[in-house]
Amino acid sequence: MDFLAEGLRRAWGLLIAGDSEVYGIALLTLKVAVVATAISCAAGLPLGYFLATRRFWGRRAALTVVNTALAFPTVVVGLLLYGLLSRRGLLGGLGWLYTWQAIVVGDVLLALPIAAALSAAAIQGVDARIRRTAETLGAGSWRTAWTVAREARFALAAVITAAFGQVVAEIGAAMIVGGNIRGSTRTLTTAVALYTAQGDFGLALALGLVLLILALVVNIALQVLQGRGGGHA
Amino acid sequence: MLELRGVRHRYEGRVVLDLAQFSIPRSGTVAVVGHNGAGKSTLLRLLALLEAPTEGQVLFNGTAVPRRAPASLRRRVTLVEQRPVLFRGTVRENLEYGLRVRDVGRTAANGIIGDVVERLGLQALLPRRRHELSDGEVQRVAVARALALRTDVLLLDEPASSADRAAAGALYRALAAERAARPFSVCIASHQLEDAYRWADDIRALADGRLSPVTPENLFRVELAPGDGVKAARVGNIDLVVMTDRAGPVVLAVSPTDIFVSKEPLPSSARNVFKGRVTGLAIEHRGAGVHVRADIGGVELVAAVTAEAARDLALTPGGAVVFSFKATAVQVF
Repeated sequence: MDFLAEGLRRAWGLLIAGDSEVYGIALLTLKVAVVATAISCAAGLPLGYFLATRRFWGRRAALTVVNTALAFPTVVVGLLLYGLLSRRGLLGGLGWLYTWQAIVVGDVLLALPIAAALSAAAIQGVDARIRRTAETLGAGSWRTAWTVAREARFALAAVITAAFGQVVAEIGAAMIVGGNIRGSTRTLTTAVALYTAQGDFGLALALGLVLLILALVVNIALQVLQGRGGGHA
Repeated sequence: MLELRGVRHRYEGRVVLDLAQFSIPRSGTVAVVGHNGAGKSTLLRLLALLEAPTEGQVLFNGTAVPRRAPASLRRRVTLVEQRPVLFRGTVRENLEYGLRVRDVGRTAANGIIGDVVERLGLQALLPRRRHELSDGEVQRVAVARALALRTDVLLLDEPASSADRAAAGALYRALAAERAARPFSVCIASHQLEDAYRWADDIRALADGRLSPVTPENLFRVELAPGDGVKAARVGNIDLVVMTDRAGPVVLAVSPTDIFVSKEPLPSSARNVFKGRVTGLAIEHRGAGVHVRADIGGVELVAAVTAEAARDLALTPGGAVVFSFKATAVQVF
């Protein structure tokens, strides 16, 4: 237990002192998480809506693929992406390997199925009459989708939170395609893993705490936004 | 105006609607009657262009509607569902929804909303939200929301099912006022014959997804003389005896189940006793009932009897028959 207490003391000291390395890692983590969450939700939410509302050949298979992708191991995604981004890979020309963009791509691949599958479930939970009513009142596809999404706003906010949670806590892909390079691609999770391996529990714990605070702040922000959307039905 | 041709609609492989032809004429009022599960709501969803039939065509003004109807076409028809839902937001925001979709300016929208709100007595509800409304109020708001759009066709699925008598009256008065102000087609699905009798130029019965050959006939538009109590109304070559205080143009209705069928006139309290000939027998209720159609002095009347009674009376097409019913069995609408 001593090392925990010692670690917490150290963590507190680093945070209060405004340690530039800790804050740099935190900022990079936030940047990667926000960009990856935004991209995965921008693509995943419409995909979820489409899967939930349209009847087409192969829909069930598409849902199965998305649901299976939920359980995709992060290291496997990292490995596949590594193959694609390495110099001889299909996307090697981008020169993204060991950059923060590579981590974003890996995170998007992992968060996209979450955004799509959970938003499909959220939209399926909306009374079918809402969509029919929007349509019979003359709404086009976009306005109908917006109307239905408004009814599922709490569930959809939870989807964004879940996608962010996946991205911010992800380590496997970030480690493999990011390379955990100090000052460049070191995120909170990869840093915690590194410092723990090096025996620097204090720093690892400090970064772990920052990670928790980050998740808390983002969740509170999302809840505030939800609240502004109107608590009443 | 709106027409279904050769429509066969399936849900999960089961045929739920099978109509060779069904149309709503321009500015006409059509009532579709039938029990729950007869296919009324499915029919209205097809007419509202919200679903495409599995087989067959929907035509709007004679032109076939594509399987995914464009919004421009959907905006000419509105459906109010049997149990309508309101969107989140206030009643006013709900009333504005379809107008905003149509890019109606704020001033014009306020004018239109003011009109329908007044007609349906919804002023007090405008700032309320859906959880603050009763089922009947939700239904009235939904009808107002549809009326505000001034579409060419208005489809109403059991529009007064959650309303009390007074609210239902207000709803129908609002519809009448709107129809007096501008012509549009209305199709009402109802299991309450009263709605149909009161409203429609044309009544069609649905049973198991098909247009029933036995429509709830026995409906007569007549002019009643002034005066109280028992009076006679000429229909074809017969005089229907009716007990009512009403006068002027009315619709008389005799429920097929209120008619006694016999071979000879029987001494009874029935004031309406007519001899005629059987023109058709239709088996109903999976063989348990028979609808007997008869030509009575140039008027076709339908009586419902049990299959056993039809057998005992040895009813056959062309055979003589007597229909009897009390003056009080004749409903006046």
